[in-house]
Amino acid sequence: MAIEVDNLSKHFRVHHREASLRSSLRSLLRRRYETVRAVEGASFQVAQGEVVGFLGPNGAGKTTTLKCLAGLLHPTGGRVRVLGFTPHQRDREFLRSFTLIMGQRNQLLWDLPALETFQVNRAIYAIPQRAYRAALDEFVDLLDLAPLLTKPVRKLSLGERMRCELAASLLHQPRVLFLDEPTLGLDVTAQAAIRAFVQSYNRRSEATVLLTSHYMADVTALAQRVLVIDQGTLRYDGDLSELVERTAPYRLLRLTLERTVEPRVLAALGEVEPGGELSVTIRVPRADVTARASEALARLPVSDVAIEDPPVEDIIREVFAAGAAEADRHG
Amino acid sequence: MADLARAYPALLRAGLLQAMAYRAQVVLWLLTSLFPLIMLGAWLSVEREVGAVAGYDAAGFVSYYVTAAVVNHFTVVSASWDWDHDIRTGELSVKLLKPLDPFHIHLTGHLGYKALIGALLLPAITVLAVALPALHYPIRPGVWVIVAAAVASGFLLNLIMASAFAMLAFWSTQVGNLYQIWWGVGFFLSGWIAPLELFPAWFRAVARVLPFRSSLAFPVELALGRLDRLAVAEGFLVTLAWTAAFGAAYRLLWRRGLRHYEAVGS
Repeated sequence: MAIEVDNLSKHFRVHHREASLRSSLRSLLRRRYETVRAVEGASFQVAQGEVVGFLGPNGAGKTTTLKCLAGLLHPTGGRVRVLGFTPHQRDREFLRSFTLIMGQRNQLLWDLPALETFQVNRAIYAIPQRAYRAALDEFVDLLDLAPLLTKPVRKLSLGERMRCELAASLLHQPRVLFLDEPTLGLDVTAQAAIRAFVQSYNRRSEATVLLTSHYMADVTALAQRVLVIDQGTLRYDGDLSELVERTAPYRLLRLTLERTVEPRVLAALGEVEPGGELSVTIRVPRADVTARASEALARLPVSDVAIEDPPVEDIIREVFAAGAAEADRHG
Repeated sequence: MADLARAYPALLRAGLLQAMAYRAQVVLWLLTSLFPLIMLGAWLSVEREVGAVAGYDAAGFVSYYVTAAVVNHFTVVSASWDWDHDIRTGELSVKLLKPLDPFHIHLTGHLGYKALIGALLLPAITVLAVALPALHYPIRPGVWVIVAAAVASGFLLNLIMASAFAMLAFWSTQVGNLYQIWWGVGFFLSGWIAPLELFPAWFRAVARVLPFRSSLAFPVELALGRLDRLAVAEGFLVTLAWTAAFGAAYRLLWRRGLRHYEAVGS
């Protein structure tokens, strides 16, 4: 196993203070702390070469888990192993074997061309000249870096910078990649370029990839398996398609009609989603979807029909809503 | 260790290139050289009134303050602020991911600035020494190697001392202020306000064993030929002892502090 997480917990002690001068003065004498349980009892394993998507709302514990895996944080409890190493012990060999790319952090030397950061990383990671040259040529080609290499980093756009950031982070050919919101703030084209690159890197080097993203397209394009975390607790670990089937026991029957139809006729097919009169979406139980589609084609003035799974965003929202309701019941 | 030696040329090159990218900042730093010249003006007025003070005549004061201004540029460090910023904002995370102690990034970053400042200041001081009769260095040319060693060791001690202090940022948000208080004492004990010979004997005795003098008065007095062999050996020994002590404190606090690091921000 490339990654083994067993009962991981990470708690933070946070200084609590009301927003007033009086409470500021009071806190000088007596500080109030509260414990934030960012991750609580998470366990999972990831095999070498696997790509896993890490899903959860803001503050769910995704980034904290990644930081524990990267050795930036010492776990409060439990056990974490990455490539056989205990990350927070910062073994030099471990540090050479992985990378963590944070969409909101920048490792590139700000006022110098990205090529200078690449040279520094070559030296720090002791990458042999030939391997460095080969990796750089490949990244320049795949990420279209040639026009960017000699511009100061501060002059690059966010998308250009992220492409350089990826190259800088992968020059040492890490076997494990932690990607924390790697496409955050990028336009659709730049997001697609980053996704394609990560996919090709994973295929070529059989690297293990664990990624978090707010953009579901990142996860659906790259990962078959997802981990869903909420309020520090792992809620789901398995295939994305299974999650879709389990959480949404229906599919969407989309009909384009030639003329309007009585609402009660449509309601006979399933649960009609609010929307247009000629373009209709109906939630239909998975097992019945073929029969209902045939029925619609036979009885209604249909010009086009499509059967789709609900958007993954909606499914994840439902998982979290169910989790929050459960927490409320227990709280 | 071999890996570290191989990494250094690239780190030094990046440090120098970054310093060159911040040319305006370097010029502003050089302007801070004017501060000791204000003190020089004050002492020259005193000297005109009462004559030489503790062996310092007008030429002595000129030589002391001009040399102090130059030495200070080579030994002053911003490491406590740099570390403090990295730890509090979570910027340290990026450095922690690499198989290299971030201390080396701070060291080579500083060396880049020092090299650039040296390239500007050393020719300037050489021209001044020829043009200004008051600026006088009565030492043999070979002794300049020892002066350079004193400046280098004073810089290293300052950097390690600042880094050790900065490790407290893992626990406190007040490291910048704390270090400023520490150096508030250091302004007097380093010889920055006035040559240490002008202070009472007990003050000089305290200054001799504290770490502040190593980065200013010790190299300056050495360049002005005011120290005998024993005093030179003592100066290096004190520097070495404090460097070892702060180095040990840095290692210990670094290891402990990492357990407290919260890697804030995403």
